[in-house]
Amino acid sequence: MTTVSTSAFYDRVNLDISTLRSRAEALQASIGSGQRLTRSSDDPVGAARLRTLSRADTFSAIDLSIAARASSDLRLTDSALQSFAATTIRAQELATQAANGILTPAQRNGIAIELNQIGKELVRLANTRDSADNALFGGETTGDAYGFSPGGTLTYLGTATAGELPLGDGQSVVRGLTGPEVFEFDAGGGPTNLYTVIKTLADALGGVTPGVDPIQAARDAMGALETGLETIATQQTIVGTRLNWIDLNTERRTQMSELRAEEQADVGGTDLAEAMSRLQQTMTVLEASQASFARLSSLSLFEFLR
Amino acid sequence: MSTDLLHIASSGVRAARVALDLTAQNIANAGTQGYIRRSLQLNEVASAGGYNRTGDLSFSGVRVDGIARNADAFRQAEVRRTGSDAARGATELSAYQNVEAALEHSGLYAAMAGFESALQQMTTDPVDPSLRAAALESSETLARTFNLASDALDTVAQSLHFAATDGVTQVNRLAGELGRVNLQLARSVPGTADHVSLLDQRDGLLGQISGYVGITTSFSANQTVEVRIGGSSGPHLVAGGAVSTLGTTAAADGTLSFTVGATAATLSAGSLAGQTQGLQCVRDSRNTLNVVAQNLIATVNGAQTSGVALDGSPGQPLLSGTGASDIAVVLASGSQLATAPAGAPAGSRDPANLAALRSALVSSDISGQIDALLFQISSATEGRRITSDALTTIAGASKLALDAQAGVNLDEEAVNLVRFQQAFQASSKAIQVASDLFDTLLAIR
Repeated sequence: MTTVSTSAFYDRVNLDISTLRSRAEALQASIGSGQRLTRSSDDPVGAARLRTLSRADTFSAIDLSIAARASSDLRLTDSALQSFAATTIRAQELATQAANGILTPAQRNGIAIELNQIGKELVRLANTRDSADNALFGGETTGDAYGFSPGGTLTYLGTATAGELPLGDGQSVVRGLTGPEVFEFDAGGGPTNLYTVIKTLADALGGVTPGVDPIQAARDAMGALETGLETIATQQTIVGTRLNWIDLNTERRTQMSELRAEEQADVGGTDLAEAMSRLQQTMTVLEASQASFARLSSLSLFEFLR
Repeated sequence: MSTDLLHIASSGVRAARVALDLTAQNIANAGTQGYIRRSLQLNEVASAGGYNRTGDLSFSGVRVDGIARNADAFRQAEVRRTGSDAARGATELSAYQNVEAALEHSGLYAAMAGFESALQQMTTDPVDPSLRAAALESSETLARTFNLASDALDTVAQSLHFAATDGVTQVNRLAGELGRVNLQLARSVPGTADHVSLLDQRDGLLGQISGYVGITTSFSANQTVEVRIGGSSGPHLVAGGAVSTLGTTAAADGTLSFTVGATAATLSAGSLAGQTQGLQCVRDSRNTLNVVAQNLIATVNGAQTSGVALDGSPGQPLLSGTGASDIAVVLASGSQLATAPAGAPAGSRDPANLAALRSALVSSDISGQIDALLFQISSATEGRRITSDALTTIAGASKLALDAQAGVNLDEEAVNLVRFQQAFQASSKAIQVASDLFDTLLAIR
């Protein structure tokens, strides 16, 4: 005969009910926090995946701010290029007027004064600052992009390249344009720059350089300014393409982060419907065992022996 | 003749009284830990007649032969063995969980990602003082995180040492008591209440010792017990009244070894074995953590010293230390971070050396190493939890099996109470009958 001792009965009921209770509590915790995993050892592989995903999220946030930075620098470059173009067009108008033979020397002198101002404005524009207060057209230099040598010639002080900014996942974008890319071009059989062209024209019109035909100088300058304007237009196209590239990357990053969020929810999130139904099931079993325990434990032979 | 009847009935009354006492004792101890149900052994007293009196009827009543203990030695040994295993499994699991928490809650992986992302952010403008300060701060956070993880591992090791020292003290105390119980058992008479309660004490002590260390027991004819640690050829902890001392020594790396008397002992079960395994896990985790910290120091300092700082001076090491416990940031200012390549002028925005540092961190795969460490400890913990759950279930089942067989069933005791009460009343009635018979004889005139 198998006898079941009273203490064994209580112990077993205790074991069963406390197991059910702890299972219900674990389910409740997972529903309450929305997280399936409370510690890595709940699912080591899933936890490792979640770590990688959250690392990717961290880097994605940085990529986003870098892309915003690159984008704002390129927009600043774009607006500076527009100012360049407007200024150059004004210089072109003045050169066209000066090429007209009926102007008096005094009138040409007036044009020369305005051209000198335009030249200075171009230098100031070339030294525009970017969002981090560095020279927009200076490449990776920390100082001004352009300066004057002791002889009065305009000199480029920046570095040869503008430097690249990473956009994440191995993609990068060149952050801006260097001065020579915008400012310098070949005209009249040799390399020159916008400032030199305008300065030379102003000097010729103002009679600073003697023995030069001002009308011929104005005609030469018109051709050179045309080339300069074309260079600026080309660079505007390049800036537009780069902005487009950043937008493309941002779009891709958004899609990637959506995928990541989805995977995070899949791996680490609680399936509410499943968790709720399992909790309900556990609670039903728990209630049933509590009720049956209450009935069984009230059954004692001592109650009936009088 | 009637004196005989009186004698028989009085022996019956005595036996019923003892049986009722025993039943009351069983009921009183229904909830006592380690109490094993007693039952009364009764024997008939009858003589087989004598010389020339072969046909005589000669009854002399009943006699209490002794108190039996309904213990199954096999089930008790199983409870000890499985209990020992479960204690080892549970202790090892809790040590692993503590190591896991120490490494995970320190936020090592997130701190490494934070450091790398601060470096990445710095590429936008390597001369920006705030970005440089942020990068230096995140390296500080990373170094502190390593310190934190190392400290937390030390705390786990300390608590394991404390528990193991306490366990050894407890085993020695219990072994001393068991030696005294052995001596008393050798002197006491089997079948007496004293003897039976000594047996209960003996089994209780064995159960408690087996929670701390895995033991092998052998019982002699007089019910004294010999306890060996480890297998059946292990050293004696208790032999009769002789008790050896369990001793422990900690190695330099924090792991424990044990001796019994002067003999080295290997523990395979019990909480002390679990603590030994936990300390080995702490040692292994700390070694891996130190290797990762050393890799980080070598990688960062190697890149740092091959570039130049913001003021154009050669780059100085960023991190100092030899492992996770003493890794520290030595640079005082963010401007000392060497982002520009060697030969660059002061204030250079050239991020070539920063790019070299970032790619060195990627190729030495520090964050991958941290991930591997976390994965290894968490999967080991998961495995230990499954083992521990299984061992606990097995131990619970064998304890239930013993309880079911050896524990007190109140219903059964209620029946016994009624039965022995009736026996008492019946014997009393027999005394009355004897008295009536005697009176009848005296009344013959």
